[in-house]
Amino acid sequence: MPKLGSLIRISAVVAAAALLAVAVVGTAGASRASHNGTTITGAGSSFVSPLVAQWVAGIGAAYGYELQYSPIGSGGGIAAITGRTVDFGASDAPLTSDQFNACNGCLQIPWALGATAIMFNEPSVPNLLHMDGPTLASIFMGQIKTWNDPAIKKLNPKVSLPSTAITVAHRSDNSGTTYNLTDYLSHVSPAWQAQFGTAVAVNWPVGVGAKGSSGVAGVVASTQGAIGYADVAFALKNHLKYFAMKNASGFFTTPGSRGILAAASSDQKPDANNALSIVNPPKKYPVAYPISTFTYVIVPQQTAKAADLRKFLFWAVTKGQAGQYTAALRFVPIPKSVLVVAEKTIAKIHS
Amino acid sequence: MSSVDAAAEAPRRPFTGRRVRFGDLVLQLVAGAAALATTVLVGLIIWKVIDGARLSLSKYGLGFVTRIAWNPVPGHELYGAASFLFGTAVTSFSALLLATPLAIGIALFLTELAPRPLQAPVTALVETLAAIPSVVIGLWGILVLGPALRDHVEPTLHSVLGFIPLFGPKGAGPSVFTAIVVLTIMILPIVASISRELFLGVPHELKEGALALGTTRWEMVRGVMFPYARGGIAAALILGFGRAIGEAIAVTQVIGGGVFIHWNLFGTGDTLGAKIAASYQGASTNLQASSLIYLGLILLVFSLIVNLAAQWVVRRSARKHGIVRGGRA
Repeated sequence: MPKLGSLIRISAVVAAAALLAVAVVGTAGASRASHNGTTITGAGSSFVSPLVAQWVAGIGAAYGYELQYSPIGSGGGIAAITGRTVDFGASDAPLTSDQFNACNGCLQIPWALGATAIMFNEPSVPNLLHMDGPTLASIFMGQIKTWNDPAIKKLNPKVSLPSTAITVAHRSDNSGTTYNLTDYLSHVSPAWQAQFGTAVAVNWPVGVGAKGSSGVAGVVASTQGAIGYADVAFALKNHLKYFAMKNASGFFTTPGSRGILAAASSDQKPDANNALSIVNPPKKYPVAYPISTFTYVIVPQQTAKAADLRKFLFWAVTKGQAGQYTAALRFVPIPKSVLVVAEKTIAKIHS
Repeated sequence: MSSVDAAAEAPRRPFTGRRVRFGDLVLQLVAGAAALATTVLVGLIIWKVIDGARLSLSKYGLGFVTRIAWNPVPGHELYGAASFLFGTAVTSFSALLLATPLAIGIALFLTELAPRPLQAPVTALVETLAAIPSVVIGLWGILVLGPALRDHVEPTLHSVLGFIPLFGPKGAGPSVFTAIVVLTIMILPIVASISRELFLGVPHELKEGALALGTTRWEMVRGVMFPYARGGIAAALILGFGRAIGEAIAVTQVIGGGVFIHWNLFGTGDTLGAKIAASYQGASTNLQASSLIYLGLILLVFSLIVNLAAQWVVRRSARKHGIVRGGRA
């Protein structure tokens, strides 16, 4: 037992260090909180997090609010607002009925608009290779296995395609981006809808699962012949090529602001919970990018912070949509009709 | 054992009055409370897990354990644990198989073979390996290890041993094989440092006696050190195995996922822990959340069975070889 003394000494040092750390963090938190009157905390979607980060300065200037957001993923955001550990949650996929019940009086408000890019890594083919929905569904179902498949050739008659094997990369965690993609595949392929359906995670028949957009990008970047998906800003940031997608009117469109905005104007009738689906818009939107999506903020209908939350959200869906916040991140201002719905819902928040 | 010591020492200890008795009382209370707290905690965890899995338990019963399915899409829901159980067994046993000779080799090197100036730094490095967070090892697995194994190791193994179904055509990087190597790296330092301590504990008289009888160094290691440390090494392996079974984050990052059972190590797969880590946050239905907790329950039972089995094996081998357990502790 001669070591007991040193053991106690070590424990004391560790405990002191821990206390010091707590004290430092505590004072830092206190100084930050006292810097502004009100702090609004949120968590969830990583897709929308760059936009929320842009808003911090704007909402600070407008109302003096301190905005704190943790990009822990849509699933985590839903869990956080269900447990009321944050003031708002953010999710790219609309809540399911089980999630709504668990959330106990939550409101869902569309507050940003973006798109999913289908990225690939095949050095011998050019960026913006042509792709259509049924072919993409066949690839994700494992029926198309190589890059020089006749279906891909038919869409790209002038490109010489290699015989490289296709590796599908998908998300292994629950993801709003997966919801957006599978929603699209269900719209363009009856076989996909019947066998796999639309959800934040599905029973993938082929491919390699990776955690988070960064995981998928990692697999795509390191695997020749890989095809994966992520939000547009992410694909651009990682310098990955992506497909030009054929829409219902037969045009090949890219996930730029024009294509996303055109898609957004297609569904003007949100359901009772404000969920909107704007994938694969009909023919009368010739420039629409077919894999676009709204992303949602989830707030409790009754909360002590109602007045502040209302102010913040009104600001986010109006001034927060301005080009200075959204353009560089490939987000698009939400259209008027959706704004009306959003404002109506925000007005329901009370204390 | 402690009671034996106490009984043996009691007559020699002089009567020192109240203060010692008070100290003994405190010791007994503190130690007893710690042991009780652990027991209560484990009990609460088990109760909570069973409670959380209740929905899935009542819907699927024991059929859940043997079904290969995981479809979380509302309206298409169907869940089963077989493929994850298979993946957990394959990855953890294989990792143990790879780590055991390596770890014992490292421990022998550090205690018997390494030049003195090398011992301390290498020991420190091995122990540092244990301190690397699993998420960092997982990240390294995605970016460096996975592609390296895919491009260099997997094709070689396939061309030489391809007739064994385990070594199929190369995959995409994330694979069961990558997960096994990552787990091996994670349990290696645990087993190596415990084995090193055990080898250091072998009495010098025994080792020198063996060498004086003219044995080679290997014969001494095999005849004296291994039997002496056998029980302890087995315990270290159980500890490492427990880590391999339960590791979730690093495995989620490198194993690739998939709901199927196949023997190709270079394909993707999934384990109980990895599935829970990947899917619990934001589970879209109550049934899915409950089924994930059911996976957790299976993981608990699985590790309990493995631990009990391992303890039984250790005890049996100790009895067979006439070694008194804990004789030197």
